[in-house]
Amino acid sequence: MKTPPFLLLAALLFWGWFADFLWTGAIMGAVLESARFLKFRWDLDDADFNRIWSFCVLLIVVLAAYVFTNNNQSSLGGMLHGNTTAEMARAGALTTTRFWRWLPMTTFAFILAQTFNERPSVPLTAVSIVLRWRRRKGERALAGHYLNISYPFFMVCLLAAGIHVNRPATNDGKIYFIGQVILIAWAMWAVRPRRYGVWAWVAALAMVAGVGGAGVVGIIKGEHALQLYGTQWMQRFFHGGSQNPLESATSMGRIGQMKLSAQIIIRLEPAVVGKVPEYLREASYRVYSSQHLTWHANGGRANKTTDFEAVHPETNNTTWVLVPGKTNTAVVNIACFLDGQSDDGYREGVLPLPSGCSRLENLAADTAVIALQKSPNGTVVASGLGLMIFDARFGPGATLDAPPDLETTNQFDLKVPTNEIPALDRVIAEMNLTTTNDFEKRLAVEKFFRDKFTYSTWQGFDKLADASGTPMTKFLLTSRSGHCEYFASATVLLLRELGIPARYAVGYYVHEARGTGYVVRERDGHAWCLAWNRATRTWEDFDTTPPAWVAVEGRRTEFGEWFTDLRSWLGFQFAKFRWHQANLQQYIIWALVPVMLVLLYHIIFKRRKKRRGAEDEGTAAAVAWPGLDSEFYQLEKLLAARGVPRQASEALSDWLERALAEPALAELRGPLQELLGLHYRHRFDPQGLSAAERERLRREAKACLERLLRAKAG
Amino acid sequence: MTSAHPTANLDAARATYRNIAGNISKIIRGQEGATRHLLAALAAGGHVLLEDYPGTGKTTLAKALAKSIAADFKRLQFTPDLLPSDILGVSVFNQRDEQFHFHEGPVFTNILLADEINRASPRTQSALLEAMGEAQVSVEGVRRNLPELFFVIATENPVEFRGTYPLPEAQMDRFAMQFTLGYVAAAEEVAILTAQEHNHPLDELQPAATLAEVLALKRAVESIRISGELKRYVVDLVAATRTAQGVQLGASPRASIALMKTAQAMALFAGLDFVTPEQIQKLAVPVIAHRLVLEPQARFSGITTRGVVEDALKKLKVPA
Repeated sequence: MKTPPFLLLAALLFWGWFADFLWTGAIMGAVLESARFLKFRWDLDDADFNRIWSFCVLLIVVLAAYVFTNNNQSSLGGMLHGNTTAEMARAGALTTTRFWRWLPMTTFAFILAQTFNERPSVPLTAVSIVLRWRRRKGERALAGHYLNISYPFFMVCLLAAGIHVNRPATNDGKIYFIGQVILIAWAMWAVRPRRYGVWAWVAALAMVAGVGGAGVVGIIKGEHALQLYGTQWMQRFFHGGSQNPLESATSMGRIGQMKLSAQIIIRLEPAVVGKVPEYLREASYRVYSSQHLTWHANGGRANKTTDFEAVHPETNNTTWVLVPGKTNTAVVNIACFLDGQSDDGYREGVLPLPSGCSRLENLAADTAVIALQKSPNGTVVASGLGLMIFDARFGPGATLDAPPDLETTNQFDLKVPTNEIPALDRVIAEMNLTTTNDFEKRLAVEKFFRDKFTYSTWQGFDKLADASGTPMTKFLLTSRSGHCEYFASATVLLLRELGIPARYAVGYYVHEARGTGYVVRERDGHAWCLAWNRATRTWEDFDTTPPAWVAVEGRRTEFGEWFTDLRSWLGFQFAKFRWHQANLQQYIIWALVPVMLVLLYHIIFKRRKKRRGAEDEGTAAAVAWPGLDSEFYQLEKLLAARGVPRQASEALSDWLERALAEPALAELRGPLQELLGLHYRHRFDPQGLSAAERERLRREAKACLERLLRAKAG
Repeated sequence: MTSAHPTANLDAARATYRNIAGNISKIIRGQEGATRHLLAALAAGGHVLLEDYPGTGKTTLAKALAKSIAADFKRLQFTPDLLPSDILGVSVFNQRDEQFHFHEGPVFTNILLADEINRASPRTQSALLEAMGEAQVSVEGVRRNLPELFFVIATENPVEFRGTYPLPEAQMDRFAMQFTLGYVAAAEEVAILTAQEHNHPLDELQPAATLAEVLALKRAVESIRISGELKRYVVDLVAATRTAQGVQLGASPRASIALMKTAQAMALFAGLDFVTPEQIQKLAVPVIAHRLVLEPQARFSGITTRGVVEDALKKLKVPA
């Protein structure tokens, strides 16, 4: 079925408008519509269409590869460096989007071939491998199934345009909907049922469009509602991944085994072997919500835009000073991934930094990192490429963190939720403290946890919040076992109750050497405490989690961890290649060229092989027939050598007539024709030749051969 | 097989052929090839469909053949209002003896000229199916055999002409051959004018063969030998049309049989007592082409049934 005049042009313009290919769409549409005015046509057969379709498929494959690598969040990359399922789903959607955007272009050759073909339709066998295969198997029923792909192409254009209606702050969605309704109405107008009046048709169309529009609005609203609900819901399940610098939900008070993967997420390479930081901190938090079991950066007014302060690079554009005036000698090279997404489309995430990190070096502004921000809680947020590789200078002393707010009324760094105070006081009483010295207090707290608590990733019912107390109370008084979040939270609250300003820090514990450097796995994620040293006026790492935790985590080595490590390593190499190699697409395209050539060759080669196979079958069948020993074939060979070869489909007498047209052979005409008669009887008469006739054939053929050779010599 | 038919029989058969062909050539000039095809179909027990423009001599050729054989000849002018009973016959109630009596239609004859066959509706055309296929007619539950020599020569104008119906595929398949006469050369046309200056030579044409001689000719054709290799070639050729591009309906095994039998007749005419590949090649188009049904798209793109067969001939390796 052909589309109405100019419908395809309109659809291509519509697609071009939304996909930012307006000119391309206009040219493609004009070329297609020009077929209405041009008389010229091709005469393409099924095999040609097969070839054109194969070409289109190759283009689509190349496009897919291109989109795949071009996508900042490609599914492959995500898979390799262990993104969460949700992220990969989003990346997959993005890849699909970009892929669709080009689809009208990649399939254009096919529709063009149809438009300018004598018969304006394509064989069904061209587009379906299954049908092609069945056809090859000789199913005749499939022959003659032709399809006009104008309408399918029209739909591809509409879909490709629709996929792109996501530019924020525009009316694209509405424009698309209206435009699509108009185009579809245009397409349907030509095939509307003539039994009903125009108004009935218009009313029906309006009704369908209305229902469709309402459905779309409903779906969008439902999606928003689900997203709202889903984020809250998911947050309780997905710990890990990108750290939120404003809030940290703990898994305290939940039941079951804590399980974190062995995925390698950070790699460190110290400048001096062995000189690595013990902790890599991502963020610290000040306010504990006993009700929600979460830590907040600041008391409920935490705000990314106001609390964060932009860090500007030095004049060399690769150095970023975090703590002015501090000089450190220890240097470690850190490679980590940014897993979040910023509003302007870049990757964004919190950098894991050593304690007392004063500056970042070899981090190119504009190419690798677009923006760097720091907060008074010691958090550094970077946005830019997905992989960050930089040198961090660190050492004891001043940190990024703001000093405790002891002078203000809030005193967040000393605040303890009132419902936890009784339990804390009981613990302090149990510790039997007599000292007023901060340092001794810390020692006592450390000893207390070391002696009386055990590490456990198993969360039993004994810590579940109920009327008798919060999970924290139960941890402190009854169960006395838990994972790092319990220890860190309890320590912060205990120190605060003892009058020492403290903060809750999250990050990673570095312990696993690999080659000259270290690797940090997801399961090395750790929480600890920052305690304020009044003497030095600095924040110090204070970790009360029993050191056994590393061994406990290590024991839970996953089955096939080597595979996970290999995958992580591949992902890391891929990310390095991807984020630090601007010409990647070109490499991919060039790498695809030989692949495409091989594919093309394969198609051609397979065909040839098939043809040769068919010929072989023919000769194999011929071998069984009688009379193939005839001497006439020698004559044929000799005559062919004189420049008159016989075509495979040419009967001997027709060929002989041609061959004897040569005047030099005039005298041979009679004998040769007589010989042919004998040969034919030898070959095709079921009675065959008698012995005497067979001998005659042999003899006369020999005589003719000699005369021919003489004639040749002459 | 052959020993049962002495060579003398073959020679007599060839003489019959030459007599009839010579007789026809007195009337139809410049159509030796067409005459040979016509007689090959007759000798092979098939039927012939002549398709050509009006006035090219189709009917004259048919009448010349009919007059050259001393056999029963009927002519049936196909018109749009012709009914099947007008062809096959009808039972009429005789009031005198209060019985139904079957009145044989024109189909009960030796040579039937179905002139302008495609002017009758397909329903009427279909009346000939059984007669042509099985040499019998079933009317009112009674099977009636047709004479031993039953030969239909149908003529038709090209289907695109006004007032014509296309022949049903089943009917087409029952014609052993279809060929055209075409316009003759200018010199031949002048000769035709001269011959008809005073009266039509057809009026004075005398039979050149008896019915018995023609039946002997038919039997002689059956004794012509054909090798297994050539049978395979025939089958391959016909099969090739079934898988050819643009063909909706390929040729049937009936086409293979017709091709073999007519090739046998042509071999006889050529003085051979076995079939050679040349005869098969020369007959492939007139025997196969009219049975093929092309896809509409293929037809519009200029593919012809003749082209399909010629392609198959070119693609297939001929036994040599």
